[in-house]
Amino acid sequence: MFHVIFHAFGGIILRLLRYVGQLAFLAMETFESIRVAPLRWRLLLNQVAEIGFRSQLVVVVTGAFTGAVFTAQTYFQFHRLGMDSAVGAVVAVSMFRELGPVLTALMLSGRVGASIAAEIGTMKVTEQIEALRALGVHPIDYLIVPRVLALLISTPLLVAECIGLGIGAGYLVATKVLGVSRAYYMTNMLSFTTGRDIKMALIKGMAFAALIGFIACEEGLKTANGAAGVGRAPTQAVVIASLVILISNFFLSFFLNIFFPAGSY
Amino acid sequence: MIQVIGLHKALGDENVLCGIDLVVPEGGTLVVLGRSGSGKSVLLKHLVGLFQPDAGRVLVNGEDISGLKERQLGPIRKRVGILFQSGALFDSMSVGENLAFPLRESGMLDPELIQERVAEALGMVDLAGEEDKMPENLSGGMRKRVGLARTLVSRPACILYDEPTTGLDPIATDSINRLIRRLQKRLKSTSVVVTHDMKTAFHTADRIAFLHEGRIYFEGTVEELRASEDPILVNFIEGRSGESD
Ligand SMILES: Nc1ncnc2c1ncn2[C@@H]1O[C@H](COP(=O)(O)OP(=O)(O)OP(=O)(O)O)[C@@H](O)[C@H]1O
Ligand SMILES: [Mg+2]
Repeated sequence: MFHVIFHAFGGIILRLLRYVGQLAFLAMETFESIRVAPLRWRLLLNQVAEIGFRSQLVVVVTGAFTGAVFTAQTYFQFHRLGMDSAVGAVVAVSMFRELGPVLTALMLSGRVGASIAAEIGTMKVTEQIEALRALGVHPIDYLIVPRVLALLISTPLLVAECIGLGIGAGYLVATKVLGVSRAYYMTNMLSFTTGRDIKMALIKGMAFAALIGFIACEEGLKTANGAAGVGRAPTQAVVIASLVILISNFFLSFFLNIFFPAGSY
Repeated sequence: MIQVIGLHKALGDENVLCGIDLVVPEGGTLVVLGRSGSGKSVLLKHLVGLFQPDAGRVLVNGEDISGLKERQLGPIRKRVGILFQSGALFDSMSVGENLAFPLRESGMLDPELIQERVAEALGMVDLAGEEDKMPENLSGGMRKRVGLARTLVSRPACILYDEPTTGLDPIATDSINRLIRRLQKRLKSTSVVVTHDMKTAFHTADRIAFLHEGRIYFEGTVEELRASEDPILVNFIEGRSGESD
């Protein structure tokens, strides 16, 4: 009995380690490419438009409605304790430290991760990646670097947008709908949010961007088995990226809190 | 010149190639015949380093390419063109962009010159003026020919054709056969033609190799192949399965 559990568990750990190894290898090849190969600016700009610019709607809606509803729920609890004016601070700090980066990353893994995996997966099974290689073009330079860099550039901006909209929507709900005093809301919010919160949001955004990029590209590149494989690649990419984002967020929060402790001092 | 020495390759748990030795002299044309699944495409992909051999070596113009890193293979690949069996067109690009791609990658910048070369290559495969079509709107045979044009457009010294005529109508087949011949004569290109079309084989070959169960079962001239009485070769040439009705 113990033996069986040990065996199954060992298998999972081994698979996990192998996957981490594959991602690390892809990341190494990507950095190698950035170092030695000329950057393809046109492809990068295309990807920034595709990944960054066109993801705004999803991110804006997510940020605004989460900020609004989170503000309302916080108010309902805090109001009973007579702490109406603390709502703004709670919402802002939560948006910066957790909700903004995590929600943006989850939405991006659905919207961008899936399409990257599907596109690269299709190119893989239709021999287009081999065709690139045969023409002397490294697929990492041509496909992976522009996408990963575009994610690294766009995600922090999208996180900022998400946070801004969330806090803005929260402010409107609190002051216009729930009748919290505007001056107190703002004062408390500003005195409890610090530059450290902003840095934490941006660092998390970058970390999640890299995870989404490498996971989606890896799933695309290892696609096999024709149409069925192409169907599986985006699903895998989204599921794996989402889980990894949620789990790594937990550890990142604790780790980053050492360098950027919460609270106003 | 292309040399293959003692090439072994296993894919999955199958030994696809078990000890291949081949030489294609400068300016010569080797036709590789073999049944479907005999490993012809895998062999061809080894010649540009798309597969790495498990054992053995591949030499292109005397340079050992087995074991080279992807980035080191780049310059060699620019001199060796390969036509994929599927055509492998970039489906996000139009026909014209597909053809311009290898030119731009090898440093050609002048748009007029590129356009000229693209039109010339499309003309060679009887597809003049189709620059703006997208690959998804082409028939199978047209894709094959666009793939061929993309291989030829950069005028490589070595050309590897993976079934250049399968899926083409008899007239297109004949014109491609003649095109391959013309390229051999004019550009003195060293070529390897993988096919199971006997017309293409006889039309283009200097020498013929027959791949069977992972080995070179036969290697010789067209006449030698025709004169052979080996039942496996005879059945293949005449298209007999050996089964009765
Ligand atoms: N990427 C791959 N991974 C695993 N096995 C492969 C791969 N490519 C080819 N094979 C296997 O290698 C064998 C030879 O395949 P190959 O494509 O070279 O055949 P072929 O001679 O070109 O056939 P055809 O005339 O039908 O094109 C087949 O059994 C195939 O299953
Ligand atoms: Mg084949």
